[in-house]
Amino acid sequence: MFTFLKIAFRNIIRNRRRSLITISAVGFGLAALIFIWAFVDGAHIQMTENYTSLLSGHIQVHKKGFQAKEQLEINIPNPQGIVSGIESNPKVLAAALRIKAFGLAASAQNSSGVLILGVFPDKEIKVSSIAKRIKEGKFLESGKDNSIVIGRRLAENLNVVLDDKIVLMSQAFDGSIASAAFRIKGLLDTGVEEIDKGIAIISYKAAEDLFVMQDRASEIAIRLKSVNDSELVASQIGQALNSSDLEALPWQEISPILKQWIEFDNGFIWIIVLVVMIVVAIGILNTVLMGVLERRREFGILLALGTRRRQIIMTVAWESLFLGVFGTIIGLILGYFLSLYFGKTGINLTIFTQALNAFYVDAFVYPKVSLGHTIISTSLVLITSIIVSLYPAYHAANLKPVDAIRSI
Amino acid sequence: MLIQIVNLTKTYTIDGNIETPALRGVDLAIEKGEFTAIAGPSGSGKTSLLNLIGALDKATSGSISYEDKDITRIGISQLALFRLKEIGFVFQAYNLINTLTAFENVEYVMLLQGIPLSIRRKKAQEILNRVGLGEYINRFPHQMSGGQQQRVAVARAIVAEPKVILADEPTANLDSKTAESLLDLMRQLNQEKGVTFIFSTHDKMVMDKAKRLINLHDGKVVK
Ligand SMILES: Nc1ncnc2c1ncn2[C@@H]1O[C@H](COP(=O)(O)OP(=O)(O)O)[C@@H](O)[C@H]1O
Ligand SMILES: [Mg+2]
Repeated sequence: MFTFLKIAFRNIIRNRRRSLITISAVGFGLAALIFIWAFVDGAHIQMTENYTSLLSGHIQVHKKGFQAKEQLEINIPNPQGIVSGIESNPKVLAAALRIKAFGLAASAQNSSGVLILGVFPDKEIKVSSIAKRIKEGKFLESGKDNSIVIGRRLAENLNVVLDDKIVLMSQAFDGSIASAAFRIKGLLDTGVEEIDKGIAIISYKAAEDLFVMQDRASEIAIRLKSVNDSELVASQIGQALNSSDLEALPWQEISPILKQWIEFDNGFIWIIVLVVMIVVAIGILNTVLMGVLERRREFGILLALGTRRRQIIMTVAWESLFLGVFGTIIGLILGYFLSLYFGKTGINLTIFTQALNAFYVDAFVYPKVSLGHTIISTSLVLITSIIVSLYPAYHAANLKPVDAIRSI
Repeated sequence: MLIQIVNLTKTYTIDGNIETPALRGVDLAIEKGEFTAIAGPSGSGKTSLLNLIGALDKATSGSISYEDKDITRIGISQLALFRLKEIGFVFQAYNLINTLTAFENVEYVMLLQGIPLSIRRKKAQEILNRVGLGEYINRFPHQMSGGQQQRVAVARAIVAEPKVILADEPTANLDSKTAESLLDLMRQLNQEKGVTFIFSTHDKMVMDKAKRLINLHDGKVVK
């Protein structure tokens, strides 16, 4: 056993140049894989973080059907008790009630369709980062129920500025006409067009009065300590709700499109994985097969002396595994430190900012190495290097000693 | 009687239809302890005959018996075991495993036989001293001359105490002085250890060193 390992190892040393080229190819392949995967993972973390923190939260509780229609009639009665229940889950950071309805915002000159959002400012700050996206003025403060915050583009369309008055109009829960005037206290600039152009935020109290929604909420937005727990906690909450009318949706279901982008990227990664595996396979196959063909005579002599076929196979497999292992070590170190370095400095994508904003990606993306993905890439490279050795190994083991020895 | 060969033939088939007869009915008996040369011009069938005696190849017809056991009737993995236990080989050149030192090359066969480390060490050192290479044990094949490499090959062939050592033109790549000293070494080992040697050659000097000469011509033994 040890002798075959020794023969394999010394063959690698003896063909130093060829081995180094192969090891580098394997190393660069793996490093590229780890880095690209870390980059994509980093971008995805940013996407979900940006998307969920902007407004949606990690999990939302609704009455079933609200997600599709967003109507006042589809609401959660007596929501306060539910909120306290949710907040007792140790993975939950905060939960905020919202009233949500479509309506019309009108200034003296113009009017525009908007999504009206009633929020508790103190709670909303803990669940979403919308308050931080105020460009001019400030966010709502509790107790000031005639203040309103609207999107910057909406303000342009309505031709209004800070401290101007606008009127919101809609139909209330009881079917009556809802109408009230508010003073603009803040202008939002999120970079997300649908928000900047079409949102108006008022206090929960004001929304209750406007829509006649006392003791009812449209949704409960929840922020967790870690976004990764979204699906798990959503199902925990769903069970705790103990109601066939209500549902708790993780962000994956709140924004199926975001989930689809991520799944698309992940599918794309597998193509890169495949390409790297092919590069590794060709590199190792070439080296090991050449080594075997050059050493036909030596294998013939090994066989003539009484070496078993499986011992020959082992020798060739060891050689291949050595190349794979050395390449993997180099690839791991290189890929890890490359990702770590750029994970600190970030990768500057400023030139793509316009396009990326639409995908909730910032100008700087921070690669993040995931243990799971690193294990997958590394094992795939190692497995490839072993599988690829089978062909040259069987070729060597099935040589006829007489023929092999004759061919000097 | 150590080896009994009866009506042995070997015909190679190339591309499935062209047949080359290499051995055309060889009858031969080899006694234990012989020092025998198989002589004949190139193409006369020397290598073919040694390969069959060494269980490296399958005969077309006829039989080869070692102490009454017919080896033409045993399976391929059994043959590997038979070679390992009973036969030592020395080929024309490049006999050694390039990535192993002289010592490791000699040790290799004992290793396959499962002989314990301490005995392997002792025996390998002893035999390398005996063939005059005590100081070269840690050299790799490419660090030795052709003659030294052949001595290591002889040492490797004999160290596992086989019944017979088969050497196919062992001196063909050596100058005449080196060839002569290799033959002398083989003869001494033959006498000291009583191991049977069968070697092929087309060199007059080598034939003269043999105790028995078998002439092969066109695949037949000639008297
Ligand atoms: N593998 C082979 N395939 C076809 N013909 C072969 C093969 N080996 C040997 N021969 C032929 O068999 C004959 C005997 O060859 P060989 O045993 O090598 O003789 P020698 O060793 O005396 O030169 C020659 O005609 C040779 O061409
Ligand atoms: Mg020959």
